[in-house]
Amino acid sequence: MTQPSDTPATSGRFRSPVAAHPVTSAIIAILVLASIFFALYVPLYASATPKAGDFPFFYFYLLIYMPVLGVVMWIVITLQRRLRPGVPGPGAEGPAGADDGEVAR
Amino acid sequence: MSNVNAVTFTIVVVLFLVVTLTGFAAARWRRAEDMLHLNEWGLGGRGFGTFVAWFLLGGDLYTAYTFIAVPAAMFGAGAVTGYFAVAYTIIVFPIALIFLPRLWSIARVHHYVTPADFIRGRFGSRGLALAIAFTGILALMPYIALQLVGIQAVLTVMGVGTTSGNAFVKDLPLFIAFIVLAVFTFVSGLRAPALIAFIKDTLVYLMIIVAVLYLPTKVGGWGHIFSTAQAHMTSISPVTHKPTGVFIPTTGNSQLAFSTLALGSALALMVYPHAVTAVLSTKRRDIIKRNMALLPLYSIMLGFIALLGYVALADKVTAANVKKANNPQLAVPYLFQHLFPSWFTGIAFSAIVIGALVPAAIMAIAAANLFTRNIFKEFFKPDASPRLETRVSQWVSMLVKVGALLFAIGLPKTFSINLQLLGGIWILQTFPAIVSGLFTRWFHRWALLAGWLAGMLYGTIAAYNVSTPTTSHWGGSVNTLWGHTYYIGLTAVILNLAVSAVLTLVLRATRVPAGTDETLQPQYTADPVDAPTPAPAAAVLGSEVSRGD
Repeated sequence: MTQPSDTPATSGRFRSPVAAHPVTSAIIAILVLASIFFALYVPLYASATPKAGDFPFFYFYLLIYMPVLGVVMWIVITLQRRLRPGVPGPGAEGPAGADDGEVAR
Repeated sequence: MSNVNAVTFTIVVVLFLVVTLTGFAAARWRRAEDMLHLNEWGLGGRGFGTFVAWFLLGGDLYTAYTFIAVPAAMFGAGAVTGYFAVAYTIIVFPIALIFLPRLWSIARVHHYVTPADFIRGRFGSRGLALAIAFTGILALMPYIALQLVGIQAVLTVMGVGTTSGNAFVKDLPLFIAFIVLAVFTFVSGLRAPALIAFIKDTLVYLMIIVAVLYLPTKVGGWGHIFSTAQAHMTSISPVTHKPTGVFIPTTGNSQLAFSTLALGSALALMVYPHAVTAVLSTKRRDIIKRNMALLPLYSIMLGFIALLGYVALADKVTAANVKKANNPQLAVPYLFQHLFPSWFTGIAFSAIVIGALVPAAIMAIAAANLFTRNIFKEFFKPDASPRLETRVSQWVSMLVKVGALLFAIGLPKTFSINLQLLGGIWILQTFPAIVSGLFTRWFHRWALLAGWLAGMLYGTIAAYNVSTPTTSHWGGSVNTLWGHTYYIGLTAVILNLAVSAVLTLVLRATRVPAGTDETLQPQYTADPVDAPTPAPAAAVLGSEVSRGD
């Protein structure tokens, strides 16, 4: 109910970064969803083989997932930074962000 | 007791003293103009950078209970109830990346200290905010108690204070640890656990690296460890006449239990008030994001900690000790005591004890902030000054810890562990309101409240009805619905969402007032550089001076 009344007041200055960068946004969404899916879909890795050293595949898979996840998350964050319009700073966020910066001075 | 190892004991005492001094000294670290403000005491000045935040969040999310309970579950029942924690700590980061930066931004702009503050501002509903605050405090109490149970497990294996029949003498070391914790939290606020987290993580990493490299060689290598575990898990239990546990979840139901436990726990973790407290204490929006990429480093460690449960199983002496004590929680402490030289046992035990103090302190602070902001100030003293707020928080943090201590001492161990299961189910019921609120105002405040109530009731009753061959109630956190096995928390939150959605449609159709929303869309992605100034009321007291310039 309150949502529509907010939008006209801010839409002049606030443009959705998702709409501005559809491809980057899609890649981000795919990476995030994939990193959740491949850990949750157990049939994919619930087997004893192939073994990595002495580790059954099931145990090895989730251990090796961690560093891979770290890298994927880093890529996502880097891509998200490209979404941000202009220079990130106190004035870039619209009325509220700017107000907050003023008060603090 | 006669079999207390002097070397181990001395090292634990010395490291505990170091931590105590650090806890008190933390009050002077990054000292603020006015410590008597919740931004300072309760959120460490909201100025922590990536490095400190990594330690604080890591210290916060991976608790002593993790080091004790996850391997204990592996030891007892294998992959589904134990190793799911690894999958859970994987998916928690991508999930958190979706909503935590938004929570950080909106809390920064509006000076929110607790998740319930946000609900109050977003939905204009004191009732819904009260429900969120109440759930948070309720779920944190047993969680803090479990930290103390972790300390107890170590003390028991050390042979300290376990022989006396007198309850007070028996738990004296726990009392001492507890009083120290309570006092330095009172004095230093969030700065204490943030600083101690450095010591904790150093010790924990040392403990894990040594344990993972050294212990398997002592029990015959990883190949032997896994084959012992497999043989044990597939053997038929004389009590249940079913396999003892699950080595690799190959049946549909065990896989479903595994993934619903992982998903439900991951959704719950980041809406726990103590996680939110650590998140809001950071300086910039990017710091939260960066930590979602850096914290998986911690989870690698968790994977190996879980596997220590199997190492304990492969060590005959440890397995026999645990069986004799009839308490799988003692698996890791017994394993360390048996295979490490006594000086390193001392370091490892200290890591577990200190690993309990850090999250317990943050949890007590989070619960205290909830009480002060969303119950005391909201319903009893709306004109409370920041100074009074902080004073109330300090005393409530003390009270919360007394409550947790009573939990830890008074209730049987299995009971407090089940309360922890319930805690997860309960806190998950705050997820729809908090996370949906970060993205949309579509849900109606009263519909969310009704959904919360439905989820709480269903979750509690369903958990009560779980029975095992050895216990008639509170037997676990999964149950069977329509022939499939699910984590109760997840089914409860789905019910919660369904009720919220249906009632929202009804309430919107009947045009029931939706409440005022004090937030604006761009504020959810804002990244104000300066630490937020105290609320207008505080400006009168002259504490609006911006820090760090």
